[in-house]
Amino acid sequence: MSGSTQDRNRRVTLSINRLISQIIPDDPHLDEEQHQQRHDLFFQEIKHQLETPRPPPLADQNHASELIRRKLVQTNPSQALRYSNLYSRLLALPVLNQKWAMLYLLHQLADSPDPSEPDPIAIAEFEHEEARRRQEEREEARRRKQEEREEFGSSGPSDDESLDGYGHPPAADDYRPTELRDVLKNPKDARSFDGEIQQPPSRYQSPRTKTARDDVPSPSKRDVAIKSKLLADNYVNVEPSEPALLRDLPYTLQGLSSTTLPFGKDYSLKLPSTLPPPLISLLHTLAEPSLLYRTLEDFVKTTTKGLLDQSLRAAINNELRSYLTLVATLEGQIRRALATIDEDAPRNGIGKAGVTLKRCVVWTRDATMGLRLMSLIAEESKSKKGGQLISLIHSFSSSHGDPIVGAFAERLLVPVTRPFYDILRQWIYDGELCDPYLEFFIQENSQEVMPKGKSGSINVWEDKYKLEETMVPSIMTVDFSEKVALIGKSLNFIRHSCGDAQWVESYSKESSKELRYGDTATLEAWIDEAYKTTMRRLMHLMTNKFHLFQHLQALKDYILLGQGDFIALLMESLAANLDRPAGAQYRHTLTAQLEHAIRGSNAQYDSQEVLRRLDARMLQLSHGDIGWDCFTLEYKIDAPVDVVVSDWGNRQYLKVFNFLWRIKRVEFALSSTWRKVTTGSRGVLHTDHPTVQQTWKTTRGFLAEMVHFVGQLQYYILFEVIESSWTELQARLARDDVTLDDVIHAHKKYLDSITHKGLLGARRRRFVGSSAGGASGSGAPGAATGANNDEDDNSYMIQLGELLRIMLAYRESVDGLYSWSVSDFMQRQNADISQRHPGRGKSAATNVNTSSLDAADASHLTQEGGVPHSEFPALQERLRHLGDRFRGKLQILLGDLAYQPDVDLRFLGVAMNFNDVYQPIRKKAKTVAGATAGASGTAGGAGDKDAAAKVSGGGGRG
Amino acid sequence: MPPKDDNEKQQAAQQAVDILHEISTILNCHLDRRTLSVCISMIENGVNPEALANVVQFLRKEAQKVGLAKDAAAAAATSSGR
Repeated sequence: MSGSTQDRNRRVTLSINRLISQIIPDDPHLDEEQHQQRHDLFFQEIKHQLETPRPPPLADQNHASELIRRKLVQTNPSQALRYSNLYSRLLALPVLNQKWAMLYLLHQLADSPDPSEPDPIAIAEFEHEEARRRQEEREEARRRKQEEREEFGSSGPSDDESLDGYGHPPAADDYRPTELRDVLKNPKDARSFDGEIQQPPSRYQSPRTKTARDDVPSPSKRDVAIKSKLLADNYVNVEPSEPALLRDLPYTLQGLSSTTLPFGKDYSLKLPSTLPPPLISLLHTLAEPSLLYRTLEDFVKTTTKGLLDQSLRAAINNELRSYLTLVATLEGQIRRALATIDEDAPRNGIGKAGVTLKRCVVWTRDATMGLRLMSLIAEESKSKKGGQLISLIHSFSSSHGDPIVGAFAERLLVPVTRPFYDILRQWIYDGELCDPYLEFFIQENSQEVMPKGKSGSINVWEDKYKLEETMVPSIMTVDFSEKVALIGKSLNFIRHSCGDAQWVESYSKESSKELRYGDTATLEAWIDEAYKTTMRRLMHLMTNKFHLFQHLQALKDYILLGQGDFIALLMESLAANLDRPAGAQYRHTLTAQLEHAIRGSNAQYDSQEVLRRLDARMLQLSHGDIGWDCFTLEYKIDAPVDVVVSDWGNRQYLKVFNFLWRIKRVEFALSSTWRKVTTGSRGVLHTDHPTVQQTWKTTRGFLAEMVHFVGQLQYYILFEVIESSWTELQARLARDDVTLDDVIHAHKKYLDSITHKGLLGARRRRFVGSSAGGASGSGAPGAATGANNDEDDNSYMIQLGELLRIMLAYRESVDGLYSWSVSDFMQRQNADISQRHPGRGKSAATNVNTSSLDAADASHLTQEGGVPHSEFPALQERLRHLGDRFRGKLQILLGDLAYQPDVDLRFLGVAMNFNDVYQPIRKKAKTVAGATAGASGTAGGAGDKDAAAKVSGGGGRG
Repeated sequence: MPPKDDNEKQQAAQQAVDILHEISTILNCHLDRRTLSVCISMIENGVNPEALANVVQFLRKEAQKVGLAKDAAAAAATSSGR
């Protein structure tokens, strides 16, 4: 014993020396001796410190470990887990007998100031000492001077003196090592001490000392120890005894039945009935992890229906394995303790062995929490799948207040989300959905679910995949998931619709990265990058390979009549043809005229790619239609551009084209008539009869009004609506980070604004109501609605349609008036010739006429009034009537426009009525006006044979 | 203690030092591996951990002082050299 003590002392001394040389830096200014002296000084101090008797801290490694753990949980929860891990590994090591003491030391040193950084206390002390040293040196010098004065000769052995200053007690103040007591007073240290240890050094000794200081006799015990001893003495022997229970405990914790604690059916544990209640309650607590373990073990073995379920089971299995490791450690402890217990001591001396049931409860507490959480997850997971499962676990990690639970769930998330990230990776790098169990938040629509009636690639883009909101795991934001959906969709689209699988493959090869749970920021950065790359590629393909923008431009030029010369030429060359009934239109003539128009206009310089797609054809004809009604231009769009210019978009284009084409046609007709009338007024239409003159004057006035109206309308639609929308579209598409979705939306918006502002789609709520009322009153609106299927829900379309038809009818009447005037002129000339001498010239005849024509015409007219073949009064009446109707309708239209919320539409009204010549009529008056107009219309139109009858009849009711 | 396979023991000791060093890093003890192993050996030889903790703190403080003294000396040397 003494030999070993000596040996030990020797080793301690050695260690102290090493420690000093380790921590105290070498000072080059001090020579060997000084060094040695200083070293000795330290050594003395340390030796003294170490030998001072002090209470050994609780000789319990769990206590020290618990102190550390508690500290870490408070300051740094994430490390607490790591510490537990390290601690269990440390326990498993066979070396080191004093692990607790080491841990205790570390705990004491925890958060000590960094020795490499200057410590203010040390500096202060150092300066203090320095000052004192100087002062003493000064005093020394003075003293020496005095001495010198007193006794001469002894030349200053200053070196020796100063050296002595270090070594001898009188001069020890010179360099006074900090008293260790000071260190103890350091509040930093005091804080971290546990209460028991702060007690003044005394003979108190923990009663539980079992390993460290067994050889040190414990003279007395603490109060608590006394109490526990008393309790231990009063201990009643129970059956089965605690050691027996302890022996069986590891099996129970592993879910295995044992003799004392057999498992029953349905996850139950049978406790011996002979035990006292405190033990029973302990066993209850211990039964929880056992039962949970059994449940989870069975859960892990169940078959799965999804990848995420599988990974969840794998993760739980892993956790269970670490739980088993803990149980194994526990078992080792129990065995060791049971081997050392003293059979004779009270309670079989189990209190001294260090392992009791209570302690087991404490040891398994964390594990129980983990098991509890897992069983909760397992239970919940039965009703959830895919992303919901991840959300469930994530909710534990993100919103649970207990940091241990949070950390546990976080740890569980990594393996559980692995299949999810695999799917995600496939999706964002390959554009393929590899999700056999429908667990991902993007799902492929099955063929049956796809909306019928639509075909082409719009399905691939918009309907092939859908984002399942409920399946988006909470580890992703909604924005993020949309981005992910878009990436995959684009890749898929590039691969399947754009035929660029090669690029997708090379892209996925070079940029594919392992995605996993954890660093959300990096993940987002990657996904953003993938997003940008994909979108750029897609837009590149759309622009350069499929000429999307060229097509849009062509659509605007040809379908929206942007290319004026082409349209004018086409109309001119087709006019004669289209006047014929629809049945007489032949496709080859139409295409030939189209070809002619292209060749004759600037359109010929457009690329072949565009012109190839342009086609002229007839719409489905209905009875009585003439060519004008059926003709249409078509611009064929094929995949994959039809993702942008969808079927719907095509229909919109067609609608706009038909509307514009009608306006154009009316304009064309009006201007040709106007030309005829204007030239005619200088010749054949010349008449002196006031009524006829008046009629012609008003007719020309109306014509001018109509030309103005059509001009304004056309100007408005072409410039205010189409061009401005086009600019808007261009601006939207010119952005750098434009995506296909953006393009689709921008284009849709473009078409919407055109149809809306172009009076094609703007609805008027009140009109719907009044039309319903009118329908019940007049009883036959079916003709009108049936005739214009596309337009029955928007009033402007109908109003404008009527206006255009009125104008056409008016123009026809003007033509009639013109031919009547011409024939009248001819008659008059013939009459002149027959009345006067045949030898007279033409100029003379007109001169003479001025005086006699009044009477002649009057007689002519009165005579005509009775004669049935004179058409003038009917024509006059009809012109007047149509003109009034035109005005009435226009005023209603203006009234409607003036109260439109849209500024552009109001502007159209202002442009048409810039000098307030019309009185806009509000809607209330409109029904009255409509009724009267309808009444007169039907009355006046009774005699008409052509389309005008239909127009007025329908219009009056509309 | 029965003599074990030396190599094995060495390894275990190495491991123990590793683990303890990691723990000390977590706890911000600022102990390097050599100091730590000295401490371990002292503890294993029955030194009171609390006392040892005090010793370490004490030595650190002294080290600071020595460092300061050195600095002061160096400063004095440079100033006098000039």
